Amino acid sequence: MTPVVEVAGLTRHFGAHRGVVDLSFAIGSGEVFGFLGPNGAGKSTTIRLLLGLIRPTSGTARVFGLDPVQDAVAVHRRTGYLAGDLALYPRLTGRQHLERLGHARGVAVRHYRDELVERFGVELDRPVRVLSKGNRQKIGLVLAFMHRPDLLVLDEPTTGLDPLLQEEFGRLVRETVAEGRTVLLSSHELDEVQRLVDRLTILREGHVVVTDTVAGLRRAAPRTVSFRFTDDIDPGPFAALDGARLVAAADGQVTLALSGPVAPALRLAGELGAVDVTARPADLDELFLAYYRAEARPEVGHAR
Amino acid sequence: MPVDVALLDLRLRRRAIVGYTLGIVAYVFVVVALYPAFQDETSLNDLTNGDPTIAALFGVTGSLTTPSGWLNANIYANFLPLVILVLTIGYAAACVAGQDEDGTLALVVTLPQHRRAILGQKIAALVLQALPVALATLLLVLVGRSFDLTLGTWPVVGATFGVLLLGIDFGLLALLTGALTGSRGAALGVTSAVAAASYLVSSLAPVTQWIHPLRVASLFYWSVGNDQLERGLSMGSAAVLTGVGVMLTVAAALAFDRLDVH
Repeated sequence: MTPVVEVAGLTRHFGAHRGVVDLSFAIGSGEVFGFLGPNGAGKSTTIRLLLGLIRPTSGTARVFGLDPVQDAVAVHRRTGYLAGDLALYPRLTGRQHLERLGHARGVAVRHYRDELVERFGVELDRPVRVLSKGNRQKIGLVLAFMHRPDLLVLDEPTTGLDPLLQEEFGRLVRETVAEGRTVLLSSHELDEVQRLVDRLTILREGHVVVTDTVAGLRRAAPRTVSFRFTDDIDPGPFAALDGARLVAAADGQVTLALSGPVAPALRLAGELGAVDVTARPADLDELFLAYYRAEARPEVGHAR
Repeated sequence: MPVDVALLDLRLRRRAIVGYTLGIVAYVFVVVALYPAFQDETSLNDLTNGDPTIAALFGVTGSLTTPSGWLNANIYANFLPLVILVLTIGYAAACVAGQDEDGTLALVVTLPQHRRAILGQKIAALVLQALPVALATLLLVLVGRSFDLTLGTWPVVGATFGVLLLGIDFGLLALLTGALTGSRGAALGVTSAVAAASYLVSSLAPVTQWIHPLRVASLFYWSVGNDQLERGLSMGSAAVLTGVGVMLTVAAALAFDRLDVH
């Protein structure tokens, strides 16, 4: 089956500035795919390349098997886009935006659009310039979803939305993929990504750091394990274990970040007479932060 | 044929179009209505005869009290081109580079329409914006024949059409500059500078010997600098103005195809 999005060696420079370098990943049909990375990581640049808004310096991007620049009309017909720094026409109302841009897209059936307006409580009759960031974002979401595109490209989609509407957005995304359509969303919010995406690419400084499922990343993420002893002990043997990093050792308590198997640590703790053990589940936040940090780059293999 | 992008831009420029049209209607009416009071004022001609260079700077040559001299000095050589250029250059700099800077261009270039179709609609909007000002001027000047402004219909139509083409050409230059640079400031600055130079060359050509040969490089010369109100717009002038417009359109389409949209 042809992937909905397929990128190979995609590179874009902006003069002397780095844009994105040698990106490769693929997105399958019916998938929620996430781009995660700090500001300036290259998420929006990648999205603009996928929509043909900018041309690559080298490499290829295919959307529905088509070139986003040469076949822009066909790609755009099947795509809904919400820009990260969404800009609307300040003097026009939400209704005027939806009418005019909907007409340009040939949206003849309006009941889905009207349903979205109702679900998100979109303010339609006031000029956009007087609306809050959140209310403008709602108009952007309806513009992206209203023609039921096969691919949704959403750059920081929940910016400005309150928690209830973020939940509603999550439901909409799940409904969309349940219909076999595909969602690509970029975010720097770890929670949002963990909640919504099936698979993700982490970008840092224009490069793909890793592409994997959330479950796969969770497996690779360090678990925090603490052992309590009756007296202070030498934590050196714990620090020497494979896949273990000593987080703290004081007052008879040793805390480890374990990314390898837990059995060697349990055996060692047993030999040293541990009286208690606590373990926290895999901490994705810690993994993501480690990926973000330039100086600490975990060795995690690329999937796909 | 898609029209939504053109309608959208015209909606955004509605106030400017209405405002400039009402302004030119009021101004041209006053100029036309005042002519009977000045047509025998020979002292006015002393102004141009006494210092033709200063008069030329305002686009004025020859007698000020003839119908064509009066309309040239007050409308066709300066004010009408200025108003149309402000409209067309202002829109053209805003509709690609300006909208890209604002972030709204992405709303239309992600529509299922070719970039060339989008640009075509923007050029159509450019022409449609300049039309009301040109048509209002034309109608009032033709009505002015009741105020002793005895001019032939076709020369007036031709001269007005020439100014319209002039405005469209400079608008297309702003569109091209904006599509090449992505900068509204560059589009406004470069086009305004070229328009100002073009105006000066055409205005000073009759009185400054070394500038005289350069006049053919000035779009003002082909539009209003060659006694068009008396002789009408020649086929050659219309061809030059149209040809420049076609070349600028092609160049703008190529540049817009390659523009990085934010």
